[in-house]
Amino acid sequence: MLIQQILLKIFTAFQNERTLSAAFHLLKGKRSGQTIQDVGLFQLHPFFGLLPKLTRGQFDEQVDLLFAKNYILIEENGYYHMTEIGIKQASEALLFHFDGWHYRGNEHVFFARVSLALQSLSHQAAGVKSFIAVEKDEDVQSKVREFLVRNQFQQQTLQMKIYLEMEQSLEKIQVNEQVKTIIVYRLSGFQEPGLTWQQMAFGFHMQEMDIRLMYGSGLHQWLNEILGDAQKYPYLYQLAQGIRVDLMLTSSANETAKLYKKGHSLEQISSIRRLKLNTIEDHIVELAMNDVKFDSKPFLTLEDQQLIINASEDYQTKKLKILKEIIPHVSYFQLRLALAKGAHY
Amino acid sequence: MQLESYLHQYFGYETFRPGQKEVLEQLIAGQDVIALLPTGMGKSLCYQLPGYIFDKPVLIISPLLSLMQDQVDQLKQMGEKRVIALNSFLTPAQKNYALHFLHEYRFIFISPEMLLQPQVKARLASLELSLIVADEAHCISQWGYDFRPDYLRIGEVIQVTNRPPVLALSATATTKVLHDIDHYLEMESPFIYVHSVDRPNIHLVKKPFALKEDKLTWILEHVEKTAGPGIIYTQSRAKTESISAQLLQRGIAAAAYHAGKEMQDRQFIQHQFLSGHLDWIVATNAFGMGIHKNNVRQIIHESMPSTVANYMQEIGRAGRDGEDAVAFLLFCEGDEQYAKFIVLEDLPKEFHVVRYAQYRANGEQPNVMLSNGEISEVAFRVVHYWMERETVDQLKERLGNMQTAKYEEVMAMLKIVETTSCMRELLIDYFGQQVEDKRENCCSNCGVDLSVLLQERVEPKNQNPMTDWKGRLQQILLRNL
Ligand SMILES: [Zn+2]
Repeated sequence: MLIQQILLKIFTAFQNERTLSAAFHLLKGKRSGQTIQDVGLFQLHPFFGLLPKLTRGQFDEQVDLLFAKNYILIEENGYYHMTEIGIKQASEALLFHFDGWHYRGNEHVFFARVSLALQSLSHQAAGVKSFIAVEKDEDVQSKVREFLVRNQFQQQTLQMKIYLEMEQSLEKIQVNEQVKTIIVYRLSGFQEPGLTWQQMAFGFHMQEMDIRLMYGSGLHQWLNEILGDAQKYPYLYQLAQGIRVDLMLTSSANETAKLYKKGHSLEQISSIRRLKLNTIEDHIVELAMNDVKFDSKPFLTLEDQQLIINASEDYQTKKLKILKEIIPHVSYFQLRLALAKGAHY
Repeated sequence: MQLESYLHQYFGYETFRPGQKEVLEQLIAGQDVIALLPTGMGKSLCYQLPGYIFDKPVLIISPLLSLMQDQVDQLKQMGEKRVIALNSFLTPAQKNYALHFLHEYRFIFISPEMLLQPQVKARLASLELSLIVADEAHCISQWGYDFRPDYLRIGEVIQVTNRPPVLALSATATTKVLHDIDHYLEMESPFIYVHSVDRPNIHLVKKPFALKEDKLTWILEHVEKTAGPGIIYTQSRAKTESISAQLLQRGIAAAAYHAGKEMQDRQFIQHQFLSGHLDWIVATNAFGMGIHKNNVRQIIHESMPSTVANYMQEIGRAGRDGEDAVAFLLFCEGDEQYAKFIVLEDLPKEFHVVRYAQYRANGEQPNVMLSNGEISEVAFRVVHYWMERETVDQLKERLGNMQTAKYEEVMAMLKIVETTSCMRELLIDYFGQQVEDKRENCCSNCGVDLSVLLQERVEPKNQNPMTDWKGRLQQILLRNL
């Protein structure tokens, strides 16, 4: 099962150094300092935010299954260990590719736009003027309205143009046909309601969660294809505006970064932004992780930096508690900063 | 003034449905009205038409968000653009914008929570309204099954002098509930219109079982043999999933439907059910559905509903077209215990009141109870509301009374299940009315011949062929070009 294979990949990447919860937060796309740092530290960009609606119960169920298959051993404090067959299973290739970090949930906004645009065009073609919109979100509605007007939908030629773009772009991407089917059956048209996750799961004899993951994988690759060739897909490209996040920082960290670059101290930023100093430090770590040119000297001497990196390598660990025990004179913030810089090497 | 001409101009209908004209005439004369009209009988027209007759906004207070969205969709579908829903889904920017232009809207839908916000309250006070509507007004009553404390405070917002008429709408209400509506909304000797709650074309059948497991077997066999469309009500989300999965396995187009489903899926199911792609919906009890389907032929209650009002509302989704429909009530010894459990689930307990008082005495925010998971949100709302108005002892007594009232509701339902005389007469009697139009095959106790009421199921030709994505894309975009 796809979800379990993904979990094994994440657990392997964490090298037994995080609790099970860390994997849960990663899949949900939690925007907290720790989860974001984990993404960089353990190179987990593809898996960020793949299942925004995942519940803890569903997650635990999958973990229990991994335990039952003897792939992992769960410790009482929430940590885990991979077993030998777990490690072997984890090394199997993942059949679906993901690009979670670059879309961060926005892929669903893109799909909402496509979905509403198609529903509108479908009804227009059938001569039906009013219908209940599949998307209620006001921003999506106004984006789609603008899109339709800008492209003279009244002429009734947009249907064919978009059809051709969708056919070509979906044909081009290297994914299983089932994935394309899932994407298309989540769309609605005149007298053509979409299918629920339960119905697709039943139709494909799969788990709902796997269907959602395949759908996400399909959207990521479809978007990569569309955004990679604006000339070839002018209409879909318009609908994909503002969806991909190339800025590697969360928006809050980005605010902090701006102030920091203006020369404010962390304490000043904390009071300007009315955020805890801890949070600001999280942002700085995020900045350090994403910006290769980030200079950590104001916070951390080169000697300490080297000490931490060496200790991390010698003891094969990124656990802050252990590192703090080895080098007691550095702060947790300095430890995280050093590890963040270390992630570039 | 000719009401019919407005009706024709704005809605394209020639004549009113029963009750609509009486209600409208009173409202236009400036009279407060309580109207009990069954769902599907054109309740909403009673406030929609005044919105066109008077050129001032109509304020509709609606406690159930899903229903509010449903009403808004309906109006938008009719081409009405001057409609806004003020609820917790709005971003602060959207909310400010809406409040600023509030006078421009024809229909303003609002949730009770929002109504009580000072900013909103002040804005509304400065606005000249043509009508104030309390939709689903039974939610105001602690006797109702869907008590919303915030709703009790509408009275605070409705000005005493110089206010437009107030219209309270509900599908079902007992005399007790009617009294609460009148009282809390501070209505002035309202005109009360009560439509007969009886639905003579819905035939009532009860099915006793010795074992709980036998119910499922019966459902599967029954649904395989007889024709839908139908709705199966059960108590838990897990059960809706498992029953629908087993129906699917038998080649029946069924889907689970509950509040835990994402919005998009719920919408797909509604559309599929309406368009005939789906034959059966398996839903949780008391989940307000915005389904306007006229030809539902069967309702199956997998277990006893907790209140007669729930039961009435749920079977009322069948036979809106006036043709025969059958409502099955499956029953097994001990079901009433579960119904009691369900009905008390959200009622605060005495120790909640004590904890609340403790927090307050220590100078802490009682809200902590919520974040600690000590109490459900609904229960907290009740305690919070009454603790601002009553002493701990008074509230304890009140809770005791509420619990008794809830038990009585379950017992009233049980009576309908257990009676050996006409089920319909008992049911209608509960609402303080009498059966006027008694037809053949009335109920299990009067005698029912299912063979004349239900059709045989016809095997569908091709189901849900999820194959060719290009074909479906063409179907959506190109078929009608
Ligand atoms: Zn009878």
